[in-house]
Amino acid sequence: MSSVTEVSADKGKGTSAGGPGSEDRVPAWRRRARPYLLSIPALVVIVGILFPFVSGVYYTILDYSAGATHVHLVWFDNYQTVLSDSALWSSVRVTVEYAVIATAIETVLGVGVALLLNRSTLIGRIFEKVLILPLMIAPVIAATVWKLMFDSNFGILNHVLGLGHSFSWLGKNNALYSCILVDVWIYTPFVAILVLAGIRSLPKEPFEASDVDGANWLYMFRRLMLPMMWPYILVAVIFRLMDCLKIFDIIYVLTTGGPGTVTTTLQINAFEDSITHFNYSRGSTYMFLLWIIVFIVARFLVSLLSKAQRRAAGAEV
Amino acid sequence: MARRVLTPGQRRVSVGGVFADILILLWFVFALFPILWMFLLSLKNDTDQTSTYFSFSPTARNYRTVLTHKGEVLTSVNFETAIWHSVLACAGATLLSLLVGIPAAYAAGKWKFRGSDDLMFQMLSFRFAPELMVIVPLFVIFHYIHLFDTELGLIWVLQLVTLPLVVWILRSYFQDLAPELEQAALLDGYSRIRAFFKVALPLVRPGIAASALLAFIFAWNNYIFPLILTDSNATTVTVAVTKYLGGGGQAYYNLTAAAALIGVLPPLVLALSIQRYLVRGLSFGAVKA
Amino acid sequence: MASLQLQDVHKSYGKHPALKGIDLDVADGEFFVILGPSGAGKTTTLKSVAGLQEIDTGSVRIDGVEMDGIEPYRRNVAMAFESYALYPQDTVFDNLASPLKSGRTGTYSKEQQRERIDMVTTTLGINQLLERFPRELSNGQRQRVALGRVLVRPAGIYLLDEPLSHLDAKLRAAMRAELKSLGSVAQTTSLYVTHDYQEALALGDKIAILRAGRVIQVGPPAEVWREPASTFIARALGQPEINLLPAVVEDGTIRAAGGHVSCPAPAGLHLSPGQHLIIGVRPREIALGPAPPDQGDRLTCAGMVRLSEVLGRDVELSVTVGEEDLIIVTDRANAPAEGERVTFQIPLAHSLVFDATRDAALEAAAAGAPDAQTSDGARVPATSLLGPLVAAEQRI
Repeated sequence: MSSVTEVSADKGKGTSAGGPGSEDRVPAWRRRARPYLLSIPALVVIVGILFPFVSGVYYTILDYSAGATHVHLVWFDNYQTVLSDSALWSSVRVTVEYAVIATAIETVLGVGVALLLNRSTLIGRIFEKVLILPLMIAPVIAATVWKLMFDSNFGILNHVLGLGHSFSWLGKNNALYSCILVDVWIYTPFVAILVLAGIRSLPKEPFEASDVDGANWLYMFRRLMLPMMWPYILVAVIFRLMDCLKIFDIIYVLTTGGPGTVTTTLQINAFEDSITHFNYSRGSTYMFLLWIIVFIVARFLVSLLSKAQRRAAGAEV
Repeated sequence: MARRVLTPGQRRVSVGGVFADILILLWFVFALFPILWMFLLSLKNDTDQTSTYFSFSPTARNYRTVLTHKGEVLTSVNFETAIWHSVLACAGATLLSLLVGIPAAYAAGKWKFRGSDDLMFQMLSFRFAPELMVIVPLFVIFHYIHLFDTELGLIWVLQLVTLPLVVWILRSYFQDLAPELEQAALLDGYSRIRAFFKVALPLVRPGIAASALLAFIFAWNNYIFPLILTDSNATTVTVAVTKYLGGGGQAYYNLTAAAALIGVLPPLVLALSIQRYLVRGLSFGAVKA
Repeated sequence: MASLQLQDVHKSYGKHPALKGIDLDVADGEFFVILGPSGAGKTTTLKSVAGLQEIDTGSVRIDGVEMDGIEPYRRNVAMAFESYALYPQDTVFDNLASPLKSGRTGTYSKEQQRERIDMVTTTLGINQLLERFPRELSNGQRQRVALGRVLVRPAGIYLLDEPLSHLDAKLRAAMRAELKSLGSVAQTTSLYVTHDYQEALALGDKIAILRAGRVIQVGPPAEVWREPASTFIARALGQPEINLLPAVVEDGTIRAAGGHVSCPAPAGLHLSPGQHLIIGVRPREIALGPAPPDQGDRLTCAGMVRLSEVLGRDVELSVTVGEEDLIIVTDRANAPAEGERVTFQIPLAHSLVFDATRDAALEAAAAGAPDAQTSDGARVPATSLLGPLVAAEQRI
């Protein structure tokens, strides 16, 4: 009488009249296990990456270098050496300076470019298509091109800007800012397209209302637009800040950390120690310290990010 | 200018508007000039390569040199195989990430289970981790297990770039999927796996395409991994380009520019093809535009 | 076809309890309606039956077979979702063919599929939409496709979640009339969820009323209408809402509206002096004009028309009696003007009596007050003011 029976019979399960048999039941633990089973492949890959990471942490308590015949456990000697080394503090200062300045400029410029592009004039529409070009070029290639342009003898920049051969873009005083300039060139579009997406998703009504009320532009921007765009800006800032803290390729190509140490960031420093000088333990110690900073900042920023994400999602509706 | 910014429908000709147009033009001169100049440089011959002229007799010879044996003789850079290495490693890394990432993203998007947030955060912390933390030990490990300077080793380490991207983007797509759709398929008589392939997978196809292409782009653009973990057998495009600058030997600026232009072409074409989904991908799904 | 039993089903989402012990018994072939306000747990109940979510405790049995651990696709149930859940990437035809192609609802040749789909789309009037995609349909059309995806296949139980809610009024009335007579629905056990009391009364073989995760009354439509278990249910049925007058028992009479409405306390109800009651009278059952003298079952009252609102053919009057306002619906022809004094008659046989204390306890329980648990025996009785209903006697 019941079609439950028919269907079961169709499937050749051999269940007696009355529907699904015990072999069709999925026990609760198997249902619970589903998400974990699905995550296993990814977990394997993660472990593949975590393993070297953990070894890296282990290196920090060894005196491991390519030349060493015996490797000893030295506990916190590396930390002591590194923390008391002025090179560390110099590179921390350079890194933070780079990250903060670059992120700040990119945020301001990015918001500005987004606002300008939002006017939907013909020029805006054409340029929007090519906005992302610098962002999609490999940073190392971008840096290479800029390096050619920076050259004080035959570089195009000094020629076009009429600076003659005297101005040294990558000299002691300018190197860090030149690196930042390249970073700005690459990553301002990143901020701009995020913010532009944010602006486009804003509701129109509040602006029309305050336009009718005769509010001035600055007021509307500060009181209406900025608070609503804040989640988008925050997402952009988080990504830029975190990426800048571990900046490597732009600086490596442009200056390799020089002249002297004026552009030696933490990751450049670690590179020199571990790859150039084969002192794996000291390089790892640098990186572990950087990782701790990044981890703490990331924890904090990710919680902000998920808040921003929720607000951004809310702003869309 | 102000009003125009806020109400896109209006298009009055005003002083502010002209001023804004000038500003935006200035930005794009800044943004596009290096690309234009790279293009010009790539067309210059060896005697013009250090000149700053805009007018010269263009030649396509540099591209030919870069892409043939002749470039290798001049600079010992085999650009052609570098392209091949890049394609293989990046496609391999992207495929692997999709393979392991889609199920994980599906699980994280569909269920709230103990540890799912930790897993997702772990992924994100990979995205933000300093690469050398992993590279230095891998540099040692790879030498031991003979993965140094191999495609396989590169695919492994590139997971650090591609996997977080794929999982985070796809999770946001799976989260957007109405659970009722798959439930309807279950009640239509489809098993869970069939329901996934019938409903969930086709509906997140844009997300899969976007995350795959972005993963490929970022893997392609990566420099530090191939720089340290490969030598001549698995050198990628990014590493090869910088070699034309000749560390110590003769520098070929025109060849560098030509190689650079070839090297940026694949990511640019791919990026333009997924422009609609770019914002969501670049923000790891945080901004859904 | 299949029978269905739910026993003490509990389900929480995180800390929010959605179902707090649902008991339902649906007979084979029955058209069973679940009526309740939004958030009462109607959809959760359906999804529990379908196996789309795990229940915390309790049991769901289909044809006597415990369903715990049985996957949804093995339960042989079909469901129309309130959100339609149409596959956006498929045409209407492919949406409708989906259950026929899965292999678990029987085996169908291409011909048979086409035949079945054609039958359903003809009945639902969506024949011309077969090649369209869901995004190209109006909400009403989507809803009919969703219903079609259920009807196109045989199933033990049809689960229908507000399947008519997005149709326009005219189509809705037509579909309501037609739905039950559709061949497949007539033959299949159906669990029908709605918040519309008219649908419930018109369609249900039986109605269960859900409130805040509990079943508060089950019965055939006539019974639920005639003897609602609480003022909440009485208010939920009927438009305009039932008039509820607080009353008290004094000297063998029931007095309401400051004594302007009073009648002898029926002996059969065993009311005690000082007991607080609530009298319920439906607006359409009050007639204007004094009762004929020989009609002892009608109570004549008087009041002043405060407000008169014309609603098409009918007029809705707010009549002030003592401190209370009574709503009376009458036809337009002999409607009194605002400010006029009127007499009207309340039919005692159709008036309901509720115990005020117990009703308040039920309200508190529904609102979630922990100390206001009411045992099953404390159900507020509803009966007529005439009293001598045997059943009512036992319940008070």
